Amino acid sequence: MAVPKLEQLSKSVVQGPSLATGAIPTRDWMDIPVVFKEGNFAYPAKKEKVEYLNSQKGLHFPNAREWSPEHDDWKLPENWKEIILAGLKERLEKFRSLKIFMDCCVRCGACADKCHFFLGTGDPKNMPVLRAELLRSVYRNDFTLAGKIMGRMAGAREMTVGVLKEWFMYSYQCTECRRCSVFCPYGIDTAEVTMMIRELLHLVGVGINWILEPASNSNRTGNHMGLQPHTFKDNVDFLADDIENLTGIRVNHSFNRKGAEVLFITPSADVFAEPGLYTAMGYLLLFEAIGLDYTWSTYASEGGNFGLFTNNELMKKLNAKMYAEAKRLGVKYIIGGECGHMWRVLHQYMDTMNGPADFLETPVSSITGTRFTNAASTKMVHISEFTADLIKHGKIKLDKSRNSHVKATYHDSCNPARAMGLMDEPRYILDHVVDWVEMPENTIREQTFCCGSGTGLNTDEIMELRMRAGLPRANAVKYVHDKKGVNMLSCVCAIDRATLTSLMNYWNPDVRVCGVSELVGNALVIDGETRGDLDDGLRTML
Amino acid sequence: MELGEALKNKREEIVSKWVDYTLSTYQSSAFFLKEKDAFANPVGSTIRQALKKLFVLLAENADPKEFLAPLEQIMLIRSVQEFTPSQALAPINAVKHITRAVLAADKQASGLVGDLYDFEFAVDLALLSGFDIYMQCRERLYKVRIREIKTGSHILTDSQCPTALLNNIRNENSETVKSN
Repeated sequence: MAVPKLEQLSKSVVQGPSLATGAIPTRDWMDIPVVFKEGNFAYPAKKEKVEYLNSQKGLHFPNAREWSPEHDDWKLPENWKEIILAGLKERLEKFRSLKIFMDCCVRCGACADKCHFFLGTGDPKNMPVLRAELLRSVYRNDFTLAGKIMGRMAGAREMTVGVLKEWFMYSYQCTECRRCSVFCPYGIDTAEVTMMIRELLHLVGVGINWILEPASNSNRTGNHMGLQPHTFKDNVDFLADDIENLTGIRVNHSFNRKGAEVLFITPSADVFAEPGLYTAMGYLLLFEAIGLDYTWSTYASEGGNFGLFTNNELMKKLNAKMYAEAKRLGVKYIIGGECGHMWRVLHQYMDTMNGPADFLETPVSSITGTRFTNAASTKMVHISEFTADLIKHGKIKLDKSRNSHVKATYHDSCNPARAMGLMDEPRYILDHVVDWVEMPENTIREQTFCCGSGTGLNTDEIMELRMRAGLPRANAVKYVHDKKGVNMLSCVCAIDRATLTSLMNYWNPDVRVCGVSELVGNALVIDGETRGDLDDGLRTML
Repeated sequence: MELGEALKNKREEIVSKWVDYTLSTYQSSAFFLKEKDAFANPVGSTIRQALKKLFVLLAENADPKEFLAPLEQIMLIRSVQEFTPSQALAPINAVKHITRAVLAADKQASGLVGDLYDFEFAVDLALLSGFDIYMQCRERLYKVRIREIKTGSHILTDSQCPTALLNNIRNENSETVKSN
């Protein structure tokens, strides 16, 4: 249908400044350059943070400098291209998985529409297949015979500054959530392709501050926040005081206590920022209720590992401190809190990086006698596994009516769900502590949608990007909010607790966000408590 | 045939073209148009549903307040995507042109084109409300950003060592106490 005015209307609006959307592409994807403008990129890492990381033993973060993605000149080293290609060669030899992922994709497109970034932006370069193709095209050009001979006809292209900029744009529009991998018939882990692109970019000094500063903090003081031991302790003590005011229970917690049975490690955000604080209060109450012999550590005071979003050397280093601390304190095993990517590092990389942790024992719950053989190698049990086991054996008393102000749904945090298969334990817990409903089937369990801000993308300068990337998740929450009256989105990840809060504030302002352990803390009945009517659970202001 | 009846008869065709036009503003419009599952394709399905609702209201000359709900569904999405404000809003206006063209192409209905004034005025009102809602969405976004900063997550990257900060605050407090 030809509608002249409509065509004009269409023309006048599509000729605006938007490049990523708003126009029907008329050129091949290789010929469409990326354009950086305020709001579509995360700020580069500060010079001093890169210098600090580069000064650390075993770490390599060269080319510290002031730079901006908006400038034409990124101040790359003169031989940047050789560095990138040598880096790619080294990784192809070192990681067999990368070589396979580069070779075996048949571009079937099964992953194409599974990415939340694609679904929120409509940008074809956010199709996982095309995002990987950004690297694969260079691989073909320099490492395959077909690419060397046939060039572009074989989908190959030369490494240029434009390609490097494209890598930066799209490897930071991927949260490594691995939803696409669930649908790949070959099992290509596209998150690992993103990880490799980010590693290569770090070789020439291209990285973002939201990742490198927490990572350097973690390397320096043990946690992302950069909290020193006394501050970390103070924060947990404050939470203990709050618990006493609310419930009359004085929890008996300790720090760096040698000989404790269990070391407890959780993301530092749980002891520092809302709404994670309430989740931490849940942990403290639960351990008090069962009289667990455990200790916090002010050194291994971070479950998260931003090394995963950086490079394998940094990931290994940050992961190692957990086990170093477990060894130093002489504990039997570790319980891990509600964290996302900590569990991915632990289940998928820890053993080959720092394991086996044979100085620890296979975790056995001293309360129920359950032997967690699933953690026989890592010696680390998830708080939800531990709690579900306590409930199963009737070792804790729960009063569901204490959560009557809550109608919950459950967001499967990407990493626990897809990287460790933790799907039923949190649901089992929820069944016992709160009235809750599931979101639609194709948005939960292994098909769960990311919060849109994982892998260090939860920074405020890219808020629009985060909101559109989080749309598929928010859309499913909206459905259960509208149809079932859901007012609380529960999850088991600290990044989720922070980012889903912002996501809900934008898309579904009537829905709040909490950790599963907060709901457990609300429902726990403990001998000797003087808990009044807390109409908002542990969040009640007295 | 009366205009109301014509709009009712042609509703499906007009809405379908309206959805096509709106989704053509995305690079991957083919996917947004094709996938019908609301959870696998939130942009496509939300826009389809909202435009359908909005067209019925426009055709019925409904109270403009009722336009707000479907408009909000659309603007929440388009105000965080890479559109300029005019690009975000333009599809609302498109229904005027589409409706005219669809009626004009039908021999029986072509005589009704001249009666479209009220309908088009309703579209004008919807467009104006759309601007208000677009701005409300942007303001909501800014508030989300402010709230994030105020709740302390920015301390991760935008400040000095928090322990040192806390110490500074304590020192300042104690100095204030001393000077008093």
